[in-house]
Amino acid sequence: MVTDDGKSKLGFLPTGSTLHKISALLTLILLIVAFSFTSPAFLSVNNGLTVLLQTSVIGLLAIGMTMVIITGGIDLSVGSVLALSGVVAGLIIKAGVPVAPAMALGILAGATCGFVNGIVITKMRITPFVATLGMMMIARGIALQLTGAAPISRLGNAFGLLGNGSFFRIVEMQDNGFPKVVFAGIPYPAVLLIVMAALGAFLLQKRQIGRHIFSVGSNEEAARLSGVNVDRTKIWAYTASGALAGLAGMVLMSRLVTVQPNEGVMYELDAIAASVIGGASLMGGVGSISGSMIGSFIIGVLRNGLNMAGTSAFIQQIIIGIVVIGAVYIDQLRNRK
Amino acid sequence: MLDAAPPDTPLIQMLDIDKQFGGVHAVRAVSVDLYPGEVVGVLGHNGAGKSCLMRMLSGAMTLSGGQINVNGEQVDLKTPQDAKRYGIETIYQTLALANHLDAAANLFLGRELKTRFGNLDETRMYAEAKDALHQLNPNFKNLKDPVSKLSGGQRQVIAIARAIYFQAKVLIMDEPTAALGPSETAMVADLTIRLKNEGIGIFLISHDMHDVFDLCDRVIVMNKGRNVGAFRIEDVNKDDILSLIIRGTLPDEWTPRGQSA
Repeated sequence: MVTDDGKSKLGFLPTGSTLHKISALLTLILLIVAFSFTSPAFLSVNNGLTVLLQTSVIGLLAIGMTMVIITGGIDLSVGSVLALSGVVAGLIIKAGVPVAPAMALGILAGATCGFVNGIVITKMRITPFVATLGMMMIARGIALQLTGAAPISRLGNAFGLLGNGSFFRIVEMQDNGFPKVVFAGIPYPAVLLIVMAALGAFLLQKRQIGRHIFSVGSNEEAARLSGVNVDRTKIWAYTASGALAGLAGMVLMSRLVTVQPNEGVMYELDAIAASVIGGASLMGGVGSISGSMIGSFIIGVLRNGLNMAGTSAFIQQIIIGIVVIGAVYIDQLRNRK
Repeated sequence: MLDAAPPDTPLIQMLDIDKQFGGVHAVRAVSVDLYPGEVVGVLGHNGAGKSCLMRMLSGAMTLSGGQINVNGEQVDLKTPQDAKRYGIETIYQTLALANHLDAAANLFLGRELKTRFGNLDETRMYAEAKDALHQLNPNFKNLKDPVSKLSGGQRQVIAIARAIYFQAKVLIMDEPTAALGPSETAMVADLTIRLKNEGIGIFLISHDMHDVFDLCDRVIVMNKGRNVGAFRIEDVNKDDILSLIIRGTLPDEWTPRGQSA
């Protein structure tokens, strides 16, 4: 849906995609309420900020993933690309380059991987599933080969700023000389996520490229016959997804203040799940950034809440797997109509 | 209508057009031309190569051989954008609509109107689309619904509006009435005549003999990729055309029928 006006013939009833988004939002609220009962510490400002921080990486990946899914494709490489981008930035910092340009080059490395995905999919006519599966192996392999599978540490405090810094942090000195954190502040990654989500939504709804992304996913042949440059549109979407994976890599590695070539395994599945829970259709042509953000937070809250309730990581996987299947099932029901 | 000699330069000249897919020869050495204000019917059974020929003219398919002239100048139509640049618009049999987008988005797909900041100008596109659609069908409502929710007739109207909104000089209509009811078919026929009188050249692919004899000035018949006959409509009757379509030849005793005219 491009015109998200919600004006159906029965003006008070929301249209299909809005309905999906509202049900996702209700699910999110239900989860928050449920977890507030199971663990008292869940519903606190500090934990809220922690969820925000934890979700920002998945959220960034989900923005790019949503664009790719709307074109009717899929990007399985984002977890590996995230790791490779971090490794590239880490190695460049080790070579003596300042943090900011090194991070920019890391993001560029991610964008390059995405661009290669786009070229392989459009020019070599390999299906997105296979092409990005290949890139998933290649990017992970390069990351491990470059580092010998060892983490890169001692990158300096400046490297940790993006992932650990925050706005409006209030710290008070106590009488005993120890600082007390009054307000943990709004973490940079959360602000970055909001900015990128707003930018992504703007591009999808208000710019020609967004219109073309929807048209390619909706009916590729029609888009081509109407004069849409289908190949360029797809390459653009995969490049954006790669660049956002790079950015997510910077945030994650910066938070750890260490580059881990093993990071981000299976993150692509969380990003896909977030998009699908938020109403994106794997058949293409349907999806929204706002929906995917809700989806990201459902996964983030689920993970955080289950952790706080002391659920084992294995059970968490089972639950998230069930949630994903449930979301896709709802999507199918919607398409059958 | 045909009393005057046609103007010198045809709008479209397709010369010795060939198209091969691997070993399959879909179109063989077909030549056809089209003058302003003329409707040329392109006939043949399924797989005769008529859609293929037209797709090459609309830029959806590249030539294997031959050349296309627009206003006497040779052109290279590699993509649909190229064809549109020369004013060649196509109404595809499949309609070529993106189902998840609304009417205005489909009408302007690939040629979106933008504000001076480069954003999509939804307000202007909506207003223009409303105008264009209401000219064809004053009852056209629900412009903001995705086109998958619209009726076959409404979808057809969008496809037609898209072709004529951008000042087509040449219009290719591929089975424009196949999905339509009687009143909508009549609307398309009226529109065809109106556009023809405005000087637009029209290629009409149709199976409906009634349409063909009502609307066309000339017909060409294709069989197994070849052009097996090109006639002024007065010179043939339905039986002649059917014989050409099915057997690839005219009835044995055939003579031009319109000589008295």
